[in-house]
Amino acid sequence: MAENNNVLVIGAGLAGIEASLLLSNAGRKVYLVERNSYFGGTVIKSEEVFPNMECATCMIAPKQSQLLEDKNIELLTLTDVTDVQGDVGDFTVKLASRARYVSLVNCIGCGACFEPCPVSVDNEFEEGLMKRKAIFLACAGALPNAPAIDMDCCLRAKGEDCTACKDACMFDAISFEEKDEEKEIKVGAIIVATGYQLGDVSRFPEYGYGKIENVFHAFEFERLRASNGPTEGAIKTRDGREPKSIGLIHCVGRDAGGYCSQVCCMYLTKFACYAFDKVEGVEVHEFFQELSTPGKAGQKFLDEAKEKGVKLVRARGVELSGNGEGVRITYQDGKTGKDTVDVDMVVLAPCIEPNSGADALAKLLGIEPGDFGFFKTTEFDPVATKRAGIFVAGCNEGPKSMQDVVVQAEAAVAAVLNGSKADTAVRRQDPAQD
Amino acid sequence: MAKIGLYLCECGPNIADAIDLDRVAAEIEKDGKVAGIERHKLFCSADGKKFLAESIKKNGFERFVIAACSPKQHEGTFAEVASDVGLNPQMFQLVNIREQCAWTVPDKEQATGKALRFIRAAVTRVQYHQALEQKEIDCNPDVFVIGGGIAGIEVALRTAHKGRKVFLAEKGELGGMLKERGLLFPAMEPAGDFLGPRIDALRNNPQIELFENCKVKEVLGFFGSFVALLETQEGKEIELKAGSVVLATGAQAFNPKELAEYGYGKLDGVYTADEIEKRGVGKLLTESAKPVKSVAVIHCVGRDKLGYCSKMCCVNSMKIARQIREQSAETEVVELYRDLCLPGKGYDRFYKETEAKGVKFARFESVEVTGGDSGLTVKYKQPGGTGAELAVDMVVLSTGLAANPSNPELADMLSISVDESGFFVEEHAVLNPVSTMTEGVFIAGCARGPGDTRDTIVQASATAGKVLSSLVPGKRLQLETRTSEVSEKLCVGCGTCVTVCAYGATTLDESRHIAVVNEVLCRGCGNCASACPSGAAKHRHFTTRQLNQEVTEILK
Repeated sequence: MAENNNVLVIGAGLAGIEASLLLSNAGRKVYLVERNSYFGGTVIKSEEVFPNMECATCMIAPKQSQLLEDKNIELLTLTDVTDVQGDVGDFTVKLASRARYVSLVNCIGCGACFEPCPVSVDNEFEEGLMKRKAIFLACAGALPNAPAIDMDCCLRAKGEDCTACKDACMFDAISFEEKDEEKEIKVGAIIVATGYQLGDVSRFPEYGYGKIENVFHAFEFERLRASNGPTEGAIKTRDGREPKSIGLIHCVGRDAGGYCSQVCCMYLTKFACYAFDKVEGVEVHEFFQELSTPGKAGQKFLDEAKEKGVKLVRARGVELSGNGEGVRITYQDGKTGKDTVDVDMVVLAPCIEPNSGADALAKLLGIEPGDFGFFKTTEFDPVATKRAGIFVAGCNEGPKSMQDVVVQAEAAVAAVLNGSKADTAVRRQDPAQD
Repeated sequence: MAKIGLYLCECGPNIADAIDLDRVAAEIEKDGKVAGIERHKLFCSADGKKFLAESIKKNGFERFVIAACSPKQHEGTFAEVASDVGLNPQMFQLVNIREQCAWTVPDKEQATGKALRFIRAAVTRVQYHQALEQKEIDCNPDVFVIGGGIAGIEVALRTAHKGRKVFLAEKGELGGMLKERGLLFPAMEPAGDFLGPRIDALRNNPQIELFENCKVKEVLGFFGSFVALLETQEGKEIELKAGSVVLATGAQAFNPKELAEYGYGKLDGVYTADEIEKRGVGKLLTESAKPVKSVAVIHCVGRDKLGYCSKMCCVNSMKIARQIREQSAETEVVELYRDLCLPGKGYDRFYKETEAKGVKFARFESVEVTGGDSGLTVKYKQPGGTGAELAVDMVVLSTGLAANPSNPELADMLSISVDESGFFVEEHAVLNPVSTMTEGVFIAGCARGPGDTRDTIVQASATAGKVLSSLVPGKRLQLETRTSEVSEKLCVGCGTCVTVCAYGATTLDESRHIAVVNEVLCRGCGNCASACPSGAAKHRHFTTRQLNQEVTEILK
């Protein structure tokens, strides 16, 4: 039987995008499945990327446009994988797509439908820092440039005959009759690139997240700085003040989790740079356990932040408490004992965890969840799982920088393209490949 | 004059409400430069594209201007329509009257005026558009790998295919830094068990040709068609042809001789981590053949001098420390560290396991090793400034990784750069981490920066991914159409364009004293055209004439 050359890529973040584009370039047909209504993953939450402080959206948007125009790649948003049967070279995959209620063909993304929608709920993409409508785009610039209707909060789901969005649409793009769909596809290989989420910081009472008003987590701070975010890039406390001082807390959940998330030292230093750029005269204190800046660019980046004035404090046992509108940081400095610093806002760097649903997906795919729920790979073939033809890429394999995510995605592509039978002589050395 | 059609997109109400399109149509018609004007509610829709295609055909337009949205959004869409109706895809101009007029100029009168200027400019410009040919070249899918360490070996194994040969040149023996290693962390498997079968596979693969003890003398050519010249130890020259080049030159351990505080090379009993591994971390003996009872492992040796953290040394030194403890439980091992770098999901546990084996850890701010009759003394400053001292039999220096000194020469050959530390520079540090500014030249492993074995392997695979994806046997390479060219008549051979080209696409033809553009490498950025003092370098789709006419019309 002929080997199927099509590839399924699960997750359309940085890893999934990179893998899909390379596979398409090699002439492969790619099904790129994304559970959200938009694609781009967590990268598009960021304003800038370390170490060169380049605009994240400007970096990723051209890749996204290229992908949308690529005829070899079928992007399926709002879609989950529900079943995988078969073997390498011949997988049968069932996909379930939820209705968007907005036609990707007809919609031009003008946004005329948002204003008339009477519903207002928290915008999850904005970490609840602003509201959205029942018909919504995750953020300005999200792609595909077409909204989706969230039927969990749409008035129609409550039995009301609201047609406000449909009435406002000039392009006949909205259809309440659209149904969820199931689809079966055949592929020869699968790349799993489902990404990461931040650990829930409210698990750790010492940080008072959710109780102390001006304690934020990393994604919240990213959205505050984002020019398409809730404050259009102005760094503000929850009560709208410009902070005079900010505390950045490293390693939140590291001891409990048992691993280092690898990128937090760098991105908190980036946050310090954000603060210096946006808030004149701001004081920034970083409370770290071990400063980890691996690789050729890390130290230089940290030195630049030091020059801008970031205060680095080695601290253990950090505890936060409310202090009027601000936050009091109490810590052990390892030299003189307990010390405190009062700041206007605190940002926590939670550990990086595999995305929700990773366990269930591992079961469905017949691959092993490994340490801490990250997918397990062969030690010296860091994309190969125990099931031939299924490869992993990106932060679902372990926490990593954007650069390392791209590298691993490209490595997964090599595994797919190199998986042909002509190659077994070489691959014999890797048991996971047989 | 060519027959030009003008299409005005209403973009629903987006443009129609903000710009007076009736007035635009009337005024352009009055100018008399276009042969027809049509409007549509939404040209990018299926219906709109069909309407556009039929209208172009029906009216026999040879060129067209479409006033709609940003080229970023729909230039591709309309280029496809042009192709479909048999026009060269360069024969139209998309004017952005939505983002740049309708959405940004609140006053309708002003927005209309601005749109008119833009459209007039486009109508003028499009007359000077030239049909550009979509060129294709045959590609050579073979790969030339420089460096026979684990990075080069992995690239070779993962790219050698039926239909694709790999040539691997190594200036010495195969195996790189790994052949000096004892165990690999965190699995604690012998490096030889990992490396050996790979080298065998390399030797047994008929698609891989090895050139050991060979130096790379020269690499010429470009993506899809490189020619490399090798020289054997005996001085024999070998020529190779390949479509891509992979730099896997590895790194080398920092030499602590230049840092006096460690006493390396002067004091007995001070070794680098590599030396200890080479000796084998068995029962350690002092120079006078007595069992070693105490060892200090000093981290971050060379870090300040190098200017970066080498990432692999913390865990590597823990590997050595625990091996010492496993061999001899009486031997005290203290790791003196500054910051523990344990990135990723596996290394915190490795550290805890090392501690559980009785390895002690102490943080230092500065350190000095001195010798005496009874052994070595390690004096160090603790955080907070208090001093401390350890009397030990042996000191192990955990050295960082320094770039391979041969990198700059290779970089020169391939028109890429090295950074201040001597590592090759990526095309983009985040988005294109294993490619370089010269298309078809890739970097993998410690040649691009310090890392551990796993990093190296995944990067080598990534490089393989890029090679396999871009050079498919039998598939032709499509070249960029909007490139630059240099007029032989006007060029004075000053070389300005060569200096400003970021892709190594322009070179000086020494015999004719003119610059030439390699169309395979040119990405059409236009740097050369704007820098050329004699007007010889020109961008095919942004000619001086096109720009001049366009800008003049806007400023009228």
